[in-house]
Amino acid sequence: MAKKRKKRSEKGVLQLLRFRTTILILLILVLGFGAVSVRLCYLQLVNGPYLQEKAVEQQLVDTTVNSKRGTIYDAKGKILAQSASVWKVVLAPAYLEKDEQRKYVAKNLSKILDLSYDDVYAKTKKKTYYVVIKRKIESDEREQILKFVDKLTDKYAKMSNVITLFDDYRRYYPYEDLASSVIGFTGSDDQGLEGIEFQYDKYLTGTPGRVITARNANQTDMPFEYEQNVEAKDGNSITLTIDETIQSIAEKYMKKGLVDNAVVKRGVCIIMDVNTGGILAMVTADGYDLNNPYDLSQADLDAIKALPEKQRAQAESNALSAMWRNKAIADTYYPGSVFKMCTASMALNEGKVNDNSSFYCGGSVTIYDHTIHCHYTGGHGSQNFFQAIANSCNPAFIQIGNLVGAEKFKKYYQAFGFSEPTGIDLPGESDDLFFANNRMSETDLAISSFGQGFSITPIQMLTACASIANGGKVVQPYIVQTITDVDGNVIKNTETTYKRQVISKETAEKMCGYLERNTTQGGRNNGYVAGYRVGGKTGTSEKIGNSRPGFKDYIASFCGFAPADDARVACLVFFDTPTGASYYGSQVSAPVFVDIMSEVLPYLEIQAEYSESEKKYVDTVAGSYVGLSVKKAQAAAKSDGFTTTVKGEGSKVISQIPSAASKIPTGGNVVLYTDKESKKNKVTVPNFVGYSVSTVNSLASDYGLNVSFTGVTSSANSVSTSQSIAEGSEVKPGTVVSVKFGGGTVVHD
Amino acid sequence: MAPFVEVMHKADVNKLYDEKLNRKRDSSRRRPERKRRQPEQPEQPAPKARKRRRVKARLFERGMGLDLPFLLLVLVLLVIGMIMMFSASYPTAYYSSRINDSYYYIRRQAIYAAIGVAAMLGISFFNYNKLHKLAPIMLAVSYIALVAVLLVPSKIHRWFEIGPINIQASEITKFAIILFFAHWGSLYYDKMQSAKYSVLPGILIFGSTAALLLLEPHYSGIVIIAILTVVMLYISGMRTFYLAVGGILLVFAVLGAWATGLLTYAMTRMDGWGQALIYTTDEMWQTTWQTRNSLYAIGSGGLFGLGLGQSRQKYLYLPEPQNDFVFAVVCEELGFVGALIILLIFALLVWRGITLSLRSKDRFGKLLGIGLSSQIGIQVVLNILVITDWLPNTGISLPFFSFGGSSLIMLLAQMGLILSISRTANIEKQ
Repeated sequence: MAKKRKKRSEKGVLQLLRFRTTILILLILVLGFGAVSVRLCYLQLVNGPYLQEKAVEQQLVDTTVNSKRGTIYDAKGKILAQSASVWKVVLAPAYLEKDEQRKYVAKNLSKILDLSYDDVYAKTKKKTYYVVIKRKIESDEREQILKFVDKLTDKYAKMSNVITLFDDYRRYYPYEDLASSVIGFTGSDDQGLEGIEFQYDKYLTGTPGRVITARNANQTDMPFEYEQNVEAKDGNSITLTIDETIQSIAEKYMKKGLVDNAVVKRGVCIIMDVNTGGILAMVTADGYDLNNPYDLSQADLDAIKALPEKQRAQAESNALSAMWRNKAIADTYYPGSVFKMCTASMALNEGKVNDNSSFYCGGSVTIYDHTIHCHYTGGHGSQNFFQAIANSCNPAFIQIGNLVGAEKFKKYYQAFGFSEPTGIDLPGESDDLFFANNRMSETDLAISSFGQGFSITPIQMLTACASIANGGKVVQPYIVQTITDVDGNVIKNTETTYKRQVISKETAEKMCGYLERNTTQGGRNNGYVAGYRVGGKTGTSEKIGNSRPGFKDYIASFCGFAPADDARVACLVFFDTPTGASYYGSQVSAPVFVDIMSEVLPYLEIQAEYSESEKKYVDTVAGSYVGLSVKKAQAAAKSDGFTTTVKGEGSKVISQIPSAASKIPTGGNVVLYTDKESKKNKVTVPNFVGYSVSTVNSLASDYGLNVSFTGVTSSANSVSTSQSIAEGSEVKPGTVVSVKFGGGTVVHD
Repeated sequence: MAPFVEVMHKADVNKLYDEKLNRKRDSSRRRPERKRRQPEQPEQPAPKARKRRRVKARLFERGMGLDLPFLLLVLVLLVIGMIMMFSASYPTAYYSSRINDSYYYIRRQAIYAAIGVAAMLGISFFNYNKLHKLAPIMLAVSYIALVAVLLVPSKIHRWFEIGPINIQASEITKFAIILFFAHWGSLYYDKMQSAKYSVLPGILIFGSTAALLLLEPHYSGIVIIAILTVVMLYISGMRTFYLAVGGILLVFAVLGAWATGLLTYAMTRMDGWGQALIYTTDEMWQTTWQTRNSLYAIGSGGLFGLGLGQSRQKYLYLPEPQNDFVFAVVCEELGFVGALIILLIFALLVWRGITLSLRSKDRFGKLLGIGLSSQIGIQVVLNILVITDWLPNTGISLPFFSFGGSSLIMLLAQMGLILSISRTANIEKQ
């Protein structure tokens, strides 16, 4: 029984084993291997592209190759902004295995790059392959780093990849603060942050290149051949309409103006080609050093230091944005009396006034409840149209404005281009601020007629002035003339855009005449530039609010153009809050305008035409008389229009003062030396300041000196204001002393 | 499943062989025939009627009783495995500042393989029935190894070093489990229906082993031990009912864990299992680095692969590509097609191993052969499930491919056992 069961069970067990083995094979080979195959199929075929992309993403290192930023040139091809090669120091600290190596690297790097040892040492402890130690190092530092790398590889094994230098570029501004508010600067990633650098960033930047290489997980080599290079395309270059010479002249005198008039909130000067709209100079004085745009002036720093701790950061950022601000386009102000040239143009163009129109000024006008005073409180009495302009008489202009009427006023306001930004290619241009809902009450019209009550930008005012100067055409001001690519192909060239004819050519010509007479009559304080026909208008406008308790803040401005009969350039000079002896446009801005224009106009090769009385004060170039016999020299000097004084007993001229090619007034005295002894004679320079032209002339001849006259010499009441060589200096006889004259009628508008 | 056509061939071959052998034996009786010991199967009646003669083959007499297809499959896999292991390992070996020698791994693996093949061929002459005695001792050694490995000061207690080679404790355990249950199953084949002889030893041995593996921790080791235990008990004749109960309990446990969110937690704890591509934290990103890069490698292979030696992921992205993750590099270099071909060879090997074992003349041989063969299949499946992020990333090597002296030698020794079994399987009844 037992045997039988056993036998059966054994047979059953064997069958069971076979059956179960079949199941087992099915499970392992069909289910198990099947599942594995399905899983692999999914991963390799379905999900493959995604996983491969992820894998490639980590295997390929995409290095950006910086492109060289384009150069910014002035109109004459001088370089205003340029990028130069610098290097970025990158450390791969994961290769440093011993603390001794880390300390060695940290010690040397911190020494070469002038960094804190602790900071560098902390970086060497990281377990990565890319730590930026310092950006933008110069070539001398690079040399030292390369030397150090040599030393390091000699000293320890496997150090060749520890320090890498990557090419980079740094922006240089050779003229430092010249046209700083226009050019702007770039940030640490070479991106334009202000001015042209910002506005034309996409042109200047270029296209960064890429190097895509396969790297192993340690970021070192991999035999897998994959390298793809996309060449960096350097940025385009920009040529501005700004002329470095004109810009420098303007900046020089603007800086002086700031100091002379104790100007608190900077000043603006814009010089524009009236026919094209090209900006020849745009100054926000003082500028800042574009190479160090985050360095505040000492005065600002002191002011910030005085503040409580909490406010400092805010104050610093405010001071920086004020420093970077391009006031010429970003600030709005009441144009004041300068605007009278527009009001007058409107009335003239509408035929509401003519030369004989008469206006009366009793010193003040009352419109409803408002009493508006003329700056000349005594009243100008009865004036014709030109006199109203020349006197800058507010009551007269209220009457002129009334003749135009609010609707026409608004129409011309728009037509002159005040109601919209000029569209100049610079960032941050402000809009005007006109009366609410574009509605003008009678009072509004009254104050508007002399430029109060609405705010415009300096560039808008200058554009309007240019339209008067160029025969009534409103042009769009621009600052970038051409954009050229790396190969010199012109990508973009700015053409003049005429927006509209705002006043007729006749009106414009007439206005030019009035404005020219205005300057001629007013002298230096009305913008008269000796030898040139200049038209212009002064302005003093009140500011809303005040910076100093007890004082009103003003903006002193002057806007003019030259030559008046065939205008080439218009210039606006604007000082925000002068706190010196005077705040009037005539005393603060007009002299600066004159100084600038008297250098800019000759530079532009505009022929000077001197009046008879001026001619004798015009400088002539002295010839060379050295080596000639005394007689011949005297004759030559005489034919050049000079008188001569012979010193010494020799027969030949061995030297002369003034020297050859120097400028002396016609009729000046040339001292001819015939021996060395006589050359030792010295003359003491007297005081030339405070005299009339004729007095200065006779003083000079008494002392045996030459005087070069600058400034306004034609006006009867011209008074000398400064001299180039200080009183009491010992000079040789015949030396040229430059004496500047000012004076003329002072209009306190 | 009955062995089919091949058996006939084999039978013919063996008949010829037997005749040849008899002739030899007649002509020169240099070696006295060793008396074959009966397997320790007291229940089995002394099989007088079916007396078997074990073929005495010489080493260089190829095919003499030894299953040639199986041997060839083993050698083919070994060669492919070594080539691929070399391809996967040389960048790691080259870039390692410690090793700095591209041939470091392959040189050692070649030595291990040589030793292993020698061991395999040697063991193929060994009478596996002698292992009956060894089974309980082996189990004891396994426990000692599992405890000993916990005493090695390390974060993960999986290996211990004896001389120049690392031994993974679970390698011993796997063999011990198969051996023990083959021994047990052949001893109590008619009592396996009762829970006392099947479920109880199963739970006791698996439970205690699993507890020790949990301490290492070695989750995939637990999985493989569990599967091996179940496989061995199943083919030994355990009632399917117990298996079904166990299966249902497991399903409920997993569902319960999943419902309570415990599963996700456990998956996160288990080295970010299943989350290689959806890492959320830096820590997870670090933890799942190896698995993620394995997936990248597998995915990069596509249908035909990047070509032999062309893997990119092995350039330090995939850490230790010579070990458990060698198949990821295989997939990347040879593609889906190459991977399938290798899987096919593995499948053939498992098939051949199981079917030849079935023809063994004794139960111990059957069970041991099937156990050892299926272990390879199971390990291949589990290894690929690990590298494809379906199982936690914990040390299941790929047979014949992964670098490792102890495991390769042990594997080839086990193949030698199967070959030894094949010799008896190929003996015809006389």
